[in-house]
Amino acid sequence: MRGRGHAEDGTVCQDRTQYLSRGGVQAICLSDGAGTATRSEYGAQAITDAGSRFLVDNFEELIANDDGRAVKEAVSQHLLGVLARTADRLGCQVADLAATFLAVAVSGDRFIAVHTGDGVIGYVKDGTLRLMSSPDNSEFANQTTFVTTRGAATSTRLFRGETDEISGFIVMSDGTGASLYNSRSATLARACSTLISVVGRAPTAQVRNPTFKKQLRRVVDTTIRNRTKDDCSLAILARASNAGHLDTP
Amino acid sequence: MAQLNIETEDLVENPTPRVPVAICIDTSGSMSGDPIRELVAGVNQFYDAIDEDDDAHDAAEVCIVEFNSGAKVIQEFASVERLQRITTIAPTGRTYMGEGVNLALDTLDARKRLYSDNGVLYYQPWLVLMTDGGPNGDRAALDRAVQRVTDLAGNKKLTVFAIGIGAGADMDVLARFSPTRPPLRLQGLHFKEFFEWLSKSVARVSQSSPGDTVKLDLAGLAGWAEL
Repeated sequence: MRGRGHAEDGTVCQDRTQYLSRGGVQAICLSDGAGTATRSEYGAQAITDAGSRFLVDNFEELIANDDGRAVKEAVSQHLLGVLARTADRLGCQVADLAATFLAVAVSGDRFIAVHTGDGVIGYVKDGTLRLMSSPDNSEFANQTTFVTTRGAATSTRLFRGETDEISGFIVMSDGTGASLYNSRSATLARACSTLISVVGRAPTAQVRNPTFKKQLRRVVDTTIRNRTKDDCSLAILARASNAGHLDTP
Repeated sequence: MAQLNIETEDLVENPTPRVPVAICIDTSGSMSGDPIRELVAGVNQFYDAIDEDDDAHDAAEVCIVEFNSGAKVIQEFASVERLQRITTIAPTGRTYMGEGVNLALDTLDARKRLYSDNGVLYYQPWLVLMTDGGPNGDRAALDRAVQRVTDLAGNKKLTVFAIGIGAGADMDVLARFSPTRPPLRLQGLHFKEFFEWLSKSVARVSQSSPGDTVKLDLAGLAGWAEL
């Protein structure tokens, strides 16, 4: 959702989210475009589209690879290649598309998570809310790593594991993190558990605009958005409370 | 489906990221009279201007270091709510600029450690150095101060404003302290205008988010300062 600061100065929302389910693999991706990169909303869109496809299509290969550095490099290079083509199409520089990348992909009882830049990834395991990956802010509040940053792969965080006791994942941009992530204690707000539960309890029947989605949108649009000037975005992948698979809004 | 209620206590309240500003001022004997009076008025107006801007009010933290025949912190780092307005400063003695800058940098380092220890994010610190003369303290202290500032500014870890007051200011020395932009010489005693510009710049920084490159309005200095 467009931040209040962007609404005031007339700039567009630079956050993007994406969900993809294919061949038994589900992925949620989130990207936050850099404030002063002139076309970063296009970068964020390209990153979430390409990132979700890459994780879904290459899940088995990626999770089986014990060389984490190679996996980070493969993800980073793929996203950079997509951004280079996007820049060509738009007639701009790759740096103009600078954006972060956060993603979680799940298949069966295994997951992969990738994180470049700021924002937060959390999860609920054994009923306890836990932090998986915290913001990478370098030293200063207005600095972070973007997919376009030289050597981004080295500061990319990569995770893999089993989903047995995990009831859901939550991925957020830094704007949302202002309300849902405590930077002092490096812990997540209680609301994260509630939001994951809402998605987990959502009816699995497909409807165009389900109630739980309206409720989530209302929470982000009012409660969370009003506590920051930044754009706010959120992606949740939760285990359906009456089933074994993970669900997403 | 049940109503989704998120209460305030279910969310977190994070501290506002800080902009630490160290003002390092020459209070040697040559600053007596109008220069020190105008400087004090300018600093107080800086506090007032920060107080009036929502973003700067929450983000800015200021300390003041004076140098004369020594160096001393006369205002510990504080937010605008806790900054004491200056009533008067009595200029005296010589110009130990290197000692003053080293103390300002030490004070900034301590503040950054405090932020880090408490999980408070912060922006690139600022150093404002103001003098009407040339350094005549310990040469080694001066060289060390120049090296430290040069290293920090070169690594984009410090924003420096080196300001000369009047015709007697040693602009060559100030240039050594300001590797990324030329030092400024105030036209007359335009302290108020400078500090007004500084407060607006602090506000601009405090509104920035990751990826923002904060461009300072250097054109706004025209007319009352020489670049």
